[in-house]
Amino acid sequence: MTESTATVLKHAAVGGSSDRPLPSSFRDPSGFLFVRDGILYRQVNRSYQRHYDLLQGSGLYNELISRGLLIPHEEVPLDSDSQVAYKTLKPEVVPFVSYPYEWSFSQLQDAALATLQVQKLALQFGMSLKDTSAYNIQFKAGKPVLIDTLSLEGLVEGAPWVAYRQFCQHFLGPLALMGCVDARLGQLLRVHIDGVPVDLTSRLLSWRKYSSFSLLLHLHLHALAQRRFNARANPTGLRRLSRSGLFGLIDNLETAVRRLRWEPQQINWVRYYEHERCQAAAFQEKSRIVADWLDKMVPAVQSIWDFGANTGHFSRLASQRGIFTVSIDADAACVEMNYKECGRQGETRLLPLLLDLTNPSAAKGWQNRERMSLLERGPADLAFALAIVHHLAISNNLPFRKIAEFFSGCCKRLMIEFIPKTDLQVQRMLDTRVDIFGEYTQQAFEHEFSQVFSLRERAPITGSGRTLYLMEKVT
Amino acid sequence: MKQRLAHAGVLTTILAICLCLFPTKAYAYLDPGAGSSILQLLIASLLGTLYAAKLHWTRIKSLLGKRRSTSVPTKTIN
Repeated sequence: MTESTATVLKHAAVGGSSDRPLPSSFRDPSGFLFVRDGILYRQVNRSYQRHYDLLQGSGLYNELISRGLLIPHEEVPLDSDSQVAYKTLKPEVVPFVSYPYEWSFSQLQDAALATLQVQKLALQFGMSLKDTSAYNIQFKAGKPVLIDTLSLEGLVEGAPWVAYRQFCQHFLGPLALMGCVDARLGQLLRVHIDGVPVDLTSRLLSWRKYSSFSLLLHLHLHALAQRRFNARANPTGLRRLSRSGLFGLIDNLETAVRRLRWEPQQINWVRYYEHERCQAAAFQEKSRIVADWLDKMVPAVQSIWDFGANTGHFSRLASQRGIFTVSIDADAACVEMNYKECGRQGETRLLPLLLDLTNPSAAKGWQNRERMSLLERGPADLAFALAIVHHLAISNNLPFRKIAEFFSGCCKRLMIEFIPKTDLQVQRMLDTRVDIFGEYTQQAFEHEFSQVFSLRERAPITGSGRTLYLMEKVT
Repeated sequence: MKQRLAHAGVLTTILAICLCLFPTKAYAYLDPGAGSSILQLLIASLLGTLYAAKLHWTRIKSLLGKRRSTSVPTKTIN
């Protein structure tokens, strides 16, 4: 059973019994996802029959699959309510479910471009996306892919694009805010589960950005149009949008998304690695120990969460050994650089994500079940906590017991580094505050972690005073 | 700048009033939003024209590029 299947199963269990729709699969009457005997299926309802046949018959499905833009599926014979069900599909499962508020600027931008590529191809085949939720995009082998097959429907000639507003809310608006104002504004997606409202984006965008023609149209004028006309009945019955107008709209959105840029300015954490690398011998030895321990665990360990991954040096030691690795950091600049490196190297087993370990993603949405918390997506076979314990214990005042509890809840094994008070990094932290951390000792660290983990390996990193541990969760 | 926006607002209002004279219906499972739909109808002609011009320009450029590449003598490797 893959990690993601286990995750989906767990999610299904939270939502109810097997065969019931997943808690996140209820909005679209065209069908739903469910789990049976540990396998994920998608039911296609009869109401979607015409669109499903068009998707397959027009050749659009094959085209999207060949371009890696849609998650592949196979049709399977399964006992279902034939009054309602038309087909049952067995879709391929992505290795890890991530959400747009956990993506860096470039990840959200690539997801937006993938969505527009799907829409452009769909129009050529007489179909169109009926929704453009960013949650319908997941990263598979390093590339964004549409996972909601039922999002495509037959094109209604002349009708406005029904998903236009959603695209602006989920993609264009957040990207414009991140690129033009501050990358941290991408976190508005955590609050606004159906995307950042266009009027809010318009208000937050700098006046200087009114000079961008595309942003003027799709965000500012869009907000104005909503303010004036949203109380009116919908005019889609007018059917006045020409095919060329629709192509023009999609092309202009694509240009707007492509032109947005974010160059990370805050490079404190990026410099952190460089500082560590100054102690080249210790850094190399640490890398060697991590690599040696990984080599011993490769068959058993299929998934790794690297907490405080920075730009992904240690994540890559794992992913290069074929282990799927989620590379987690709270610094947007690090995640952005990590993702861009994945693109340059064509890495398929590494997923950088923007997550704050001291406040990880919570369960969200309807009944708190639509979007999973980070912990619900685990446990990982192994977690890395390298050069991070001192940040948790001293910068965040977390007792060792709390830190050990957290890791025991998200992984089966743990590779963790203890950094003593004598270390230069810890000294810097204590320079600006009173040392109230009498309990911050290696002995206390080992004692608290031994309550929930059993020690497997222990290796001092020569010349640094630091120690690496490999632990296994006590069952 | 504010003046430009105000002009855009006036234009939007006039066109939208014309559009709203017609009977309306929506069938989507998502609410497309009346304002979002009206905006598309308003900007579609302009964007369609720009898109067509862009396609033509790309064709012209590729034709010119082909001619140039055939007229420029290529280096031979001995």
